[in-house]
Amino acid sequence: MTSDKNWEELGRKNLESENDIVMARQLVRHYAKQLRMGIVDQTRVTTAVSELLRNMYNYAGGGEIKIFSGLVDEKDALIITCSDSGPGIEDLELAMSDGYTSGMGMGYGLPGAKRLVDRFEIQSKVNVGTTVRIIKWR
Amino acid sequence: MSEKHNITNIKKRIDRIEDILAAVAAGDLDARINSETEDDLSGIEAAIDLLIDDLTDELKQREKMQKEVEDKLSKIQEQQKTIVQQQEDLLELSSPVSKVWDNVLILPVIGTLDSQRTQIMMENLLEKIVETGCTISILDITGVPTVDTQVANHLLKTVTSARLLGAECIISGISPAIAQTIVHLGIDLSSIKTKATLQDAMIFAMRQNKRTDDIKLQSLYINPNEKEE
Ligand SMILES: Nc1ncnc2c1ncn2[C@@H]1O[C@H](COP(=O)(O)OP(=O)(O)OP(=O)(O)O)[C@@H](O)[C@H]1O
Ligand SMILES: [Mg+2]
Repeated sequence: MTSDKNWEELGRKNLESENDIVMARQLVRHYAKQLRMGIVDQTRVTTAVSELLRNMYNYAGGGEIKIFSGLVDEKDALIITCSDSGPGIEDLELAMSDGYTSGMGMGYGLPGAKRLVDRFEIQSKVNVGTTVRIIKWR
Repeated sequence: MSEKHNITNIKKRIDRIEDILAAVAAGDLDARINSETEDDLSGIEAAIDLLIDDLTDELKQREKMQKEVEDKLSKIQEQQKTIVQQQEDLLELSSPVSKVWDNVLILPVIGTLDSQRTQIMMENLLEKIVETGCTISILDITGVPTVDTQVANHLLKTVTSARLLGAECIISGISPAIAQTIVHLGIDLSSIKTKATLQDAMIFAMRQNKRTDDIKLQSLYINPNEKEE
């Protein structure tokens, strides 16, 4: 997974309740705005984060979000990591495909989030947890 | 006093100490030795009485504190109940459905749509549809900052349920940024009638109303006796 010691951590939040999703989303929008991203990009990255957080809440019972700003491939970027210690995803390819849901969802959360950002990295291990990192150029 | 008499006496007093201690242990906090003699043993007896006094005080103190804590707890629980009630009231308030025009309901949605709120919102709307018999309802989401798959899913379900009750839903107030986001997410909202603004939705609803009225008039004209039956 892409990572860099020189990224500046802007904020982080533990996710325990549905209300934390709202607060984390507001945090992301706040920093996106602060980094002077336009309204469309703010909305896209906030919505992508909303999908990841809802998944963490629904399937892993919670998790953590961290927000960074820094350079990726020498470009200024907003970097967001969502990680949980939930059941993990057995078949990543299946989970990433449009319309697949193991529950009552629409199955567009993960593939949709990927389309909303510039870079999308997912790692998952059964019984260990799932980490998703999304990157949006500024 | 003979040696033997003395020993019997001391044994009696030790028995009494044992009895008193047993009584205290069993919960009788008023039991005391209250020795009347003055000798080596009476010092111990007095000390034991003092110890029981201390113990009694402490127990009473603890009981008092426990009662205070219980009182406070029940007060907090009372307050919590009020807060929950207020939250529920607020939820109801935040999804006000109103009949704004003949046959037209409007539900302005403001803020975040979590599953609980959406549930209440949907119930309110469906109830109102049945109650008023309105056949057009407008869901205005101008005040919703984020539309993700869950919110879209809830909206789709609401529209489908309303349709089953004979009402058509129009969703208005989708901003350009949210429209783009929905497209990228891949959600298909094409089965829903959408309008950019609440005003557009109102105009559409009124036209629709007029059309229904026209059709009613027409059928009245074709079959003028229909009304009599
Ligand atoms: N953090 C996670 N931990 C465990 N399983 C997950 C996690 N995130 C996603 N999944 C699995 O991947 C599937 C696909 O996720 P996705 O977000 O695309 O769809 P969904 O959540 O089912 O529905 P939607 O997001 O459209 O409401 C989920 O149904 C779930 O089984
Ligand atoms: Mg999802």
